[in-house]
Order: sequence, then C-alpha cells, then structure tokens
Amino acid sequence: MSLQDHIESLTVDRDEGVVSSVDRNKAIAIAVFLVPGLTLFGIFSVGPIVYSVIGSFFAWETFTMEEFVGLDNWIRSLTDPLIIHWSNMRELRYPMGALTHNLLWVVVHVPASTFLGLGLALLFADLRGRRILRSMVFAGFTVPPIVIGLVLLFVYDPQAGIFNELLRVLGQDQWVRNWTQSPQVAIYALIAGGIWVHTGFSMLLYSSALSAIDPSLIESAKVDGANAWQRFWDIIWPLVKPVTAVVVIMGIIWVMRMFDIVYAAGGAAGGPNHAYSVLGIEVYRAAFRPEIDYGMAMVVALIQLFIVAPLALYIARMN
Amino acid sequence: MTEDETHESATARDSSAGARPDGGYLSVEDVPERAPTVNRSWRARIAENIPSKRRALKYAVAITVAVLWIVPFLGLFMASLRPLSEIIGGWWHLEGMTITFENYYRAWNYSTAPLGRALLNTFIVTIPAVLVVMLLGVMAAYPFARFEFPLKTALFFLILLIMAAPPELVAMGNYNALHEIGLFDTYMGLILIHIGWGLGWVVLFLRNYLLGIPEELEEAARIDGASRYQIFRTIILPLSTPALVSVAVIQFTWVWNAFFFPLVFMRSPELYLAPQVLPLMRGRVQVEWGVIAAGSIMTMAVPVILFVLLERYYKRGMVAAVAD
Repeated sequence: MSLQDHIESLTVDRDEGVVSSVDRNKAIAIAVFLVPGLTLFGIFSVGPIVYSVIGSFFAWETFTMEEFVGLDNWIRSLTDPLIIHWSNMRELRYPMGALTHNLLWVVVHVPASTFLGLGLALLFADLRGRRILRSMVFAGFTVPPIVIGLVLLFVYDPQAGIFNELLRVLGQDQWVRNWTQSPQVAIYALIAGGIWVHTGFSMLLYSSALSAIDPSLIESAKVDGANAWQRFWDIIWPLVKPVTAVVVIMGIIWVMRMFDIVYAAGGAAGGPNHAYSVLGIEVYRAAFRPEIDYGMAMVVALIQLFIVAPLALYIARMN
Repeated sequence: MTEDETHESATARDSSAGARPDGGYLSVEDVPERAPTVNRSWRARIAENIPSKRRALKYAVAITVAVLWIVPFLGLFMASLRPLSEIIGGWWHLEGMTITFENYYRAWNYSTAPLGRALLNTFIVTIPAVLVVMLLGVMAAYPFARFEFPLKTALFFLILLIMAAPPELVAMGNYNALHEIGLFDTYMGLILIHIGWGLGWVVLFLRNYLLGIPEELEEAARIDGASRYQIFRTIILPLSTPALVSVAVIQFTWVWNAFFFPLVFMRSPELYLAPQVLPLMRGRVQVEWGVIAAGSIMTMAVPVILFVLLERYYKRGMVAAVAD
C-alpha cells in the first residue's frame, strides 16, 4: 500500500485534477467504511472511559458531577479497607481488600492454569480422539461464568456437594464445610474453580502452538537418544515459549475482570463480610448499590485498567 | 501476521487429522521399528510391548482427566433431573433414582422472572448485537487493513487498550448516557452497549484476517473498473466468511453469557436476561438446587450447542484473536 501511495504522490504534479478526485473518492470511501463502527465504538466504549477518567477527579452527588476535588476520590479509594485492608493483611486474615484478592488470583490462578494448560496440551497432543478430549476440557470456557459460579456453589455445598463427599470418602471429615461461605478458605475454593474453567483456554493456545511443531524434529531427537525431558526442554519449550507470554497475559486480564463467578458465589457483597470481593464487585457496589459513590467506582475501575494496560501494549509490541 | 497464519493452518491441519476416520495412516509412534519376523524371542516381544503399554497408560490418564473435568457439569445435569431430596442426599447415588422434569418446568415459569421469557429476551438482545457487530466490524476493518489514513496507529492502540479494559469501566458513563437518551432499561440500550463494546476486538481480529488476503485480487478488480464499495461487497465480504463465522460464534457466546451489562442496564423483571435470572433462583432458606441446575442447563445449552456445531471456527477464532 505504501508503494501505491508513493506512486500516487509521484503523479500529483502531472495530473492534478484526476488525482485529487481519486484522493477525495478514497477519503470518502474510508469515511463510509469507518464512521458507523467508530461512532458506536466512540460513544459506548471510548466516551465512557474518558468520562470515568475525568469523573474520577470530581465530587459526585449520586449520578451528577459536582465540583473538582483533585485526588480526593483516589486517596479515599486507595485507603478504603474494602480495596486494601492493611491491618488484616498483616495478620493474613480475610478480607484483605479487593485489590489484594485480585492480586492473589493473579499469583495463584495464572501460574496454575498456565502449567495445567501446557500439561494437558502435551498429554493430549498425539492421542487419537484428542479433539474430543480437548473439547471436554475446554467446554467450561464456553459456559456462562455465572453458571460456573453456581456450579462451584453446588460442588462445595456441605451436603449436596461432591467435593465434601470426596473428603468424607477420604476420611478427612474435619475438612467438610461450606467452602464458598467460609471466609478464610473461600477465596482458594473459588480460585480452584477459576483454574478449572480457564485451563481449557490455556490448553487450547498451547495445543495450537504444539501442532505447529514439525514432528520430524522430535523424531530426529528421539533417534539421537534424547529422553522425554530433554525433548521437551530443548525442542518443544523454545517453540511454545512465545505462546506462554500470551497465555499468562490473557490469564491476568481474565482474572482482573473477575466478576460473575464471585457474584454468583457471594452476591454483591463479595462473600460473607466481603471475604473474597474483587475490584469488579467493588465498582458495581460503589456505582449501583446505596450508598452510591460514583467517584470511587471510577477510580477502582481505572485501577483495574492500569494493571492490565501495560500487558495489552506488550502484546501489541510483540507483533 | 505470519505467525497468525501458521497457527491457523496448523489448527486446520490438526482438526482435519482428528476428524479422519480410523482408516488413516499409522502415527509415527505406532509404526514398528523393523518388519515383523516370524521367530521372535519372548524377550523381544516383551520389549516391543512396553511402549504400547506406556501409550495405553497415557490414554487412560488422558481420558480420566477429561472425564473428571466435566464431573461438575455432570452433577449439574443430574441435579436438574432429580427431586431436591435426592440432590441433597448426593446426585452421585444412582440407586432409586427418580427422573423428573419438574425442575425444568419450575425454572421455565420461575415466579420472579420466568426463565422462558428471559431466554427470549436474551435472544432478542444477542442476535442484533452479533449481526450489527459483524457488519460494522468488517466495514471498519477494511480501511485498517488496506488504506493509510490519519490517526490510524493511534486508533489501533486505543482499540487494543480498550480490549484489555474491564467492562466495569464503561458502566458508569453508559448508565448516565442511556438515561440521557431515554434508552435505559430497554433492549435497544443494551444492544447498543454490546455493539460498542464488541467492536474493538472484532475490528482488530478482522483486520488481521484481511491482511492475509492477497491484494492482487482487488487490484485486478480495480483495473476492471470496480468501485471500492463493489470490491468490498464482491471480494472482501465473501473471502472473509470464515473469519466472520468465527466472529459470530465468539461474539454470540460473549453477549449471551454476559452478566454484568444486563445486571446494570436491565432493571425491569420482564426484561431480565437469562444469566441475570439464575442467581435469583437461590431461594431464601433451602437452596433450590434442582431449579438452579435446570435453569443453568437451559441457559448454557445455547452457547454449548453452538460451540459443538462450530467448534473449528470457535477455536480458530479464539487462537487467532489473542495470539495474532
């Protein structure tokens, strides 16, 4: 295309009238193609984000913007124990604040679902019927997340839940409890559920990277006497390493957006006494449940964006 | 972009291999090292058997893992078909099992917001949101892939940034905007928000796909005197059909499954969407597992069936959308 432009700019001197009408036609065509989509995108995506950025520096009377207050909302939100609960964090007691919970999700969920995804991708890679096996693991990712949250409630139920039944069968009766409603362990129970759903997605990305590897490479390594571990470390890992960056970043984005599963398990409070609330839940409660605090909602949503924005730009730079 | 193509072709090759009936070639591992000899010692026979045993073990592990993975959904399905007393006793006890469709009936006519109505509402919102995003998305993607225009790079990065943003970030602005234009708590309002939110990734995804279509076709058409609109309609649209199917499946799943947007923008019970109704079914004293399970099965059936039918497009789109 740049060559095309170059030629067009060369012809400008020779035949100005024709070229300018071509240029105008082209500009009109570009506008016709772009404007409908970008208008809606601007009104319903870009606009509200800009609105949130501006609004985070203003005082709010429920849904109406009042006067400029500088960093007030920011300071108030970041010192709110619902977002970061310093004293509980020192004692490692939940709730530790939504931001802390979100970061805990990142630290536990993302590595676990990445490793499991790679493991399952390797396990299924050369099996007959791998398409069905993969689909079984991936299916959870196509189910509404709100259903996932309800399924977790069901699985962890003290009477009807199969997880507690498993504990009983294993003779660990002292551990039987309502996992999603016990403040000190519930977040781990939910993270386990998150891993269960999200591993399928990681596995899918790894599987497509693995299937791009030339089998003759692995065969020749076998002939040369490399064992399974060496084959993985020397051939497969270098080739799937770039995918790992994508898997990890998509995992972080997914976890930072966490809302439905937590809402299904703990309602708008994010569990008993906010025990496993996340940032998304705090935005929702601040914005749409009394006491309405639009300023805080905007700040918390922007914190969510700040954490993932560098990652998205990193993906962009990789291309 | 080359990476993208490798992924896509790899996935295609892979799935066609999986779809092949048993009559295909042996995979490399299954081919014996030498031709079979008639008089082999028992030692050699055992040695030859060991790899296949290992492989059998691998199959056993793989199948076990995959089955364990869907046990929670199996439980959900069982619970949806059994009376509450049997669910509380444990859905895994199969003796004396009573199969009833009572739960489905009650979920369908649930008093606060009947799921039958909610499912209809979900279709009313999802279908236009998907179709419009497909059309406007491919239109906007075309200039991104083919032409130079001012602010192109800036727009590109803006779209990327917003793709990573949480939906909560646009809720406050959209809430006020919909109130302003009188579309709050209407189908149209929610549809517009889903369109605006979905366009970002759709434009990026289709742009990457269009970059892979050779330009020579369009140039030939231009020499024949076709306008840019004719080129778009007769060349670009037909050639991007596979990508558009991927967009349709993924966007449908996303809009159908969305919970946060309906929760914020749909307030009248008669306008509730299906994912919104499910958490209401928990009940006060005893959780009504059977009703929740039946409602969940009905709600998830639509995206799961779509996934099963259009699995290739779904997976290919997922991989291309993030690993482009």
